[in-house]
Amino acid sequence: MNALQEQTIPLYGKIVDKYHELSAKDKPQLARQSAFHKFQLLGFPTIRHEDWKYTNITRFLKDEYALETSVVAPPAQLLAKAAIPGLDCYQLILVNGIWDGKIAGSPLPKGIEIHRVKDVLNKPGFAEYFANENWGNLHFAALNAALYTDGLFIRVSANVAIDKPLHIVHLYTSDHNLLVQPRHAWIVDRNAELSIIETTQSMSGETKIWVNGLTEIFLNGDAKLDHVHLQTASGGTRLVQQTAVHQKKQSLYNNYTFTLPGADLVRNDLQARLEEDHTETHLYGLYLTAGDQLVDNHTLVDHQRPHCFSNEHYKGVLLGQSTGVFNGKVYVHRAAQKTNAFQQNNNLVISKKATIDSKPELEIFADDVKCSHGSTVGQFSEDALFYLRARGIGEAAAKALLINAFAFDVTDKLKHAAVAEFINQQISHHIPVNHAG
Amino acid sequence: MGNDNEILDNIANKEYEFGFVTDIEMDILPAGLDEDTIRYISEKKKEPAWLLEWRLKGFLSFRKQKRPEWQNFILPPIDFQKISYYAAPRNKKKYNSLDEVDPELLATFAKLGIPLNEQKALAGVAVDAVFDSISVATTYKEKLKELGIIFCSFGEAVQEHPALVKKYVGSVVPHSDNIFAALNAAVFSDGSFVYIPKGVRCPMELSTYFRINTENTGQFERTLIIADEGSYVSYLEGCTAPMRDENQLHAAVVELIALDNAEIKYSTVQNWYPGDKDGKGGIYNFVTKRGICKENAKISWTQVETGSAITWKYPSVILQGDNSTGEFYSVAVTRNKQIADTGTKMHHIGRNTRSRIISKGISAGQGQNSYRGLVQIGSKADEARNFTQCDSLLIGDQCGAHTFPYIESKNNTATVEHEATTSKIGEDQIFYLNQRGIDSEKAVALIINGYAREVLNQLPMEFAVEAQKLLSITLEGSVG
Amino acid sequence: MLIIRNLHAEVEDKKILKGINLTVNAGEVHAIMGPNGSGKSSLASVLAGRENYQVTEGEVIFEDKNLLDMAPEVRAREGVFLAFQYPIEIPGVSNINFLKTAISEIRAYKGQPPLDAKEFLRLSREKQKLVEFDAQLVNRSLNEGFSGGEKKRNEIFQLAMLEPSLSILDETDSGLDIDALRIVSQGVNKLRSEKNAFIIITHYQRLLEYIVPDFVHVLYNGRIVRSGTKELALELEEKGYDWLKEEAREKETAI
Repeated sequence: MNALQEQTIPLYGKIVDKYHELSAKDKPQLARQSAFHKFQLLGFPTIRHEDWKYTNITRFLKDEYALETSVVAPPAQLLAKAAIPGLDCYQLILVNGIWDGKIAGSPLPKGIEIHRVKDVLNKPGFAEYFANENWGNLHFAALNAALYTDGLFIRVSANVAIDKPLHIVHLYTSDHNLLVQPRHAWIVDRNAELSIIETTQSMSGETKIWVNGLTEIFLNGDAKLDHVHLQTASGGTRLVQQTAVHQKKQSLYNNYTFTLPGADLVRNDLQARLEEDHTETHLYGLYLTAGDQLVDNHTLVDHQRPHCFSNEHYKGVLLGQSTGVFNGKVYVHRAAQKTNAFQQNNNLVISKKATIDSKPELEIFADDVKCSHGSTVGQFSEDALFYLRARGIGEAAAKALLINAFAFDVTDKLKHAAVAEFINQQISHHIPVNHAG
Repeated sequence: MGNDNEILDNIANKEYEFGFVTDIEMDILPAGLDEDTIRYISEKKKEPAWLLEWRLKGFLSFRKQKRPEWQNFILPPIDFQKISYYAAPRNKKKYNSLDEVDPELLATFAKLGIPLNEQKALAGVAVDAVFDSISVATTYKEKLKELGIIFCSFGEAVQEHPALVKKYVGSVVPHSDNIFAALNAAVFSDGSFVYIPKGVRCPMELSTYFRINTENTGQFERTLIIADEGSYVSYLEGCTAPMRDENQLHAAVVELIALDNAEIKYSTVQNWYPGDKDGKGGIYNFVTKRGICKENAKISWTQVETGSAITWKYPSVILQGDNSTGEFYSVAVTRNKQIADTGTKMHHIGRNTRSRIISKGISAGQGQNSYRGLVQIGSKADEARNFTQCDSLLIGDQCGAHTFPYIESKNNTATVEHEATTSKIGEDQIFYLNQRGIDSEKAVALIINGYAREVLNQLPMEFAVEAQKLLSITLEGSVG
Repeated sequence: MLIIRNLHAEVEDKKILKGINLTVNAGEVHAIMGPNGSGKSSLASVLAGRENYQVTEGEVIFEDKNLLDMAPEVRAREGVFLAFQYPIEIPGVSNINFLKTAISEIRAYKGQPPLDAKEFLRLSREKQKLVEFDAQLVNRSLNEGFSGGEKKRNEIFQLAMLEPSLSILDETDSGLDIDALRIVSQGVNKLRSEKNAFIIITHYQRLLEYIVPDFVHVLYNGRIVRSGTKELALELEEKGYDWLKEEAREKETAI
């Protein structure tokens, strides 16, 4: 189907070979087969695809990537920065998508199980969580679903509230160009509660690492999941992360996505599928982009059933020659009466050479709904700047304060003070006090 | 409010008021499209060679272009060979006074409520009526002539002001712009031409009424308005079409040129036949409208869209000159199986350019209403500003409202604000009005008109009243 | 301390100040009164350095330095404080963090070491008490969701914290109920000393019952048309501004 891509993108042929290699070993599951065919049909996205209109990945596809992931010892430099100071948590470390089976912190309480995906993939009671064939037009999700081999499986049993957050540390390192495709499945059963904090870091250097992650989250009735993801990968890293969340009756899902300077490319596709009534969903995002970064956040809030509430707030601060993309879609199906859906995207363009493309979308098929979205692109409020200066605060410091304040809407929503503190520090670290403006 | 369903049915079944066919002898070109069709049209209109050449280029572009795929509806197949590209009333001489006009035609205009009569003329409306494809009568021409204003049919302008036409035609909407604009360039039949000289403020509203009459004729009019430096003009366009089972294609092009310090206000009330309640028949309204602003100039588009089976149009402004302003005010109503995919594009190129977009969508029955807008800030558009408000109102649970705004900014001194809401008519609002003695039907009309007020206020007075009435009739009795 | 000579200023090509002369010495309290639109608030904005005001003529000397040459923050660090008529809300910037930043920048400018956290806290508590400012408000975002009175009290609290030599109160009394007015005034009175000075801009005489001025000036049409002692304020209260407008007009026509 994609003869042209097969010829021009070195990775393409490797993908085909890899699939056949996997298929030769075990007869692939139906889902893997259909994902592969889907990917063949879709190919790699180009700017002609509406969802990739502003995100041109051609230059990243010119590099060659190996598909073999071996177990590597985590580099000390990364490990040293991995922990969140003052956070009482269970910590797991994944290197290139592979978990070593260790959990720092006290032993896990009853009611939570964690496995390597590799170990449970084909077992009854687990396989169903990897059976999703419906990846729509997500090119990279189809690619992952065709080729993934490992990841993290987490399940919290009904009526269990896990006392401390899980801190999942993703470290990526390699001495050669590498495509890593971890796939995770996290299940929070009926009336259970869990808090997950993901941090993503990578070694900077000459080698290019492409991470194509796929996370599927299942929240049963009355389940609660608080999900933070801090993306601070280094230059040379290309991150594509698809997260699909399935919400059942009265479940609550909070997502906080922070993308900071570093990675060449970050593309997040976050999809909340509200499959039953009375769910609640909060999506918060902050992207602080610098250098010639390309950071693209695509979100979908899919209101399938009545009486659901969703609120989304993404904020962007753009520095350097970076490009930020926000595409938020709220889809309200005919059956989803009494929906409340709100979406807001605000952008602060600091640098003369930065670009922002914002596309908030509403698609509404039910009439008894309250939906709104807003999007702004702009600069600091002159009045606020003057007020601060009139109190003796220099212009640069005043701007730094205002950037922090701008980010505050998002960081303020974090539940764990230690996490908020950690992220605020990271943000401050990247704010250019001296050449703001 | 026990009669909700009844009222909803009522509106769904509401018949098109303007569906009637005028029995006039017509010159009709057989259906079909090839180079000869174009040569025939050009020859019929005694056009100069350069214009024929330009048409042929348009035809070439048309054949190269693909049907658009990005819109939020399934574009039904259109057999371009089954359309007749030229229809003119046979008795097509120009009239010196209205008395000479075919009474049938006048009766048609009367039924449409077109201001092509003394009464309306006294109200100060100069009208250029496009009946199918040929401009039949123009009023108030003499008076305008005194001021140096040219207001005539496009065909006449080609004969009498070829230099102006040659300079500006296709300068804002090139013949290759999109498939429908290309088709129009190839086969456009007639349209209006306006030129306002330097520093002249046009003393009256200029107005054109379009009407598609003949079976299987598409209407491809082309309008060109040039406001020279420091001038002002307000232009009104009204559209109706008779009832037919077949879909009819309407692919018009409007080009506005506002030179330094000029202002053009372009208002449309579009009420083409929307098809019946099952979606049979109706006009495909695929229009390309675009204007360019030079320094300090202003272009303001206002539209009230209640008709057509499918409306596909994005009146846009290229804000090329520093300190120029673009505005777009729109009310779009869809009901039965109507589809509207409309919005605007504001291209900020010059410094300190401003744009304002107010869009109000109303969906009823099984209607689908999409707002699609682009606000683009170029790297040189320092201090550019945009404000966009697009609201959707849903009446009944079978319709849809969609919002697709695109915001692209390459300048850190620009400010862009976009807001959108979707809601239904509040039962408490209706109840409040009921409690004050207003029945539900009137309450809805009141609320809808209030909802659309910001846009209606932009229309010239006599047009605003008409539009308001049209809105009330269109949505009569709909209660959410 | 402050000498204003023949100050002319305009905003968007509109002449707002048309030759102001005023001298303020340490230890003095000056009230500037006048009808709406006379240029009172503009004078405050020009002194604080708001950028949309263009000074077209005249000079302002503050403690022997040319005030007009300074950036707004430098004026603040030199000791000019403006209590805003409409204090701005800045969500996300906490009051306390904002003040900490302001104080440390001002101290750094003066070559003083930064206050340590403990000292800062002590100072903050002390000043809160002085102006009866709710501790809850101190920890909230800057002015966000504050009532009108709370915002004004926050201005006075900041004044107390920053210890400026010249404080300009721009219609601080507007929108205050009688209790809030009393608290704000008491705060100011406690802060009055031999070393600092106040310019109080107000429309009404009411505030001057609480903060007794040494001098009263009436601003009209961009000029000070009359100066006097506190008795002038009483006279204005009784007779309104019309007689002064009349007089000013006569003077102008005489010229």
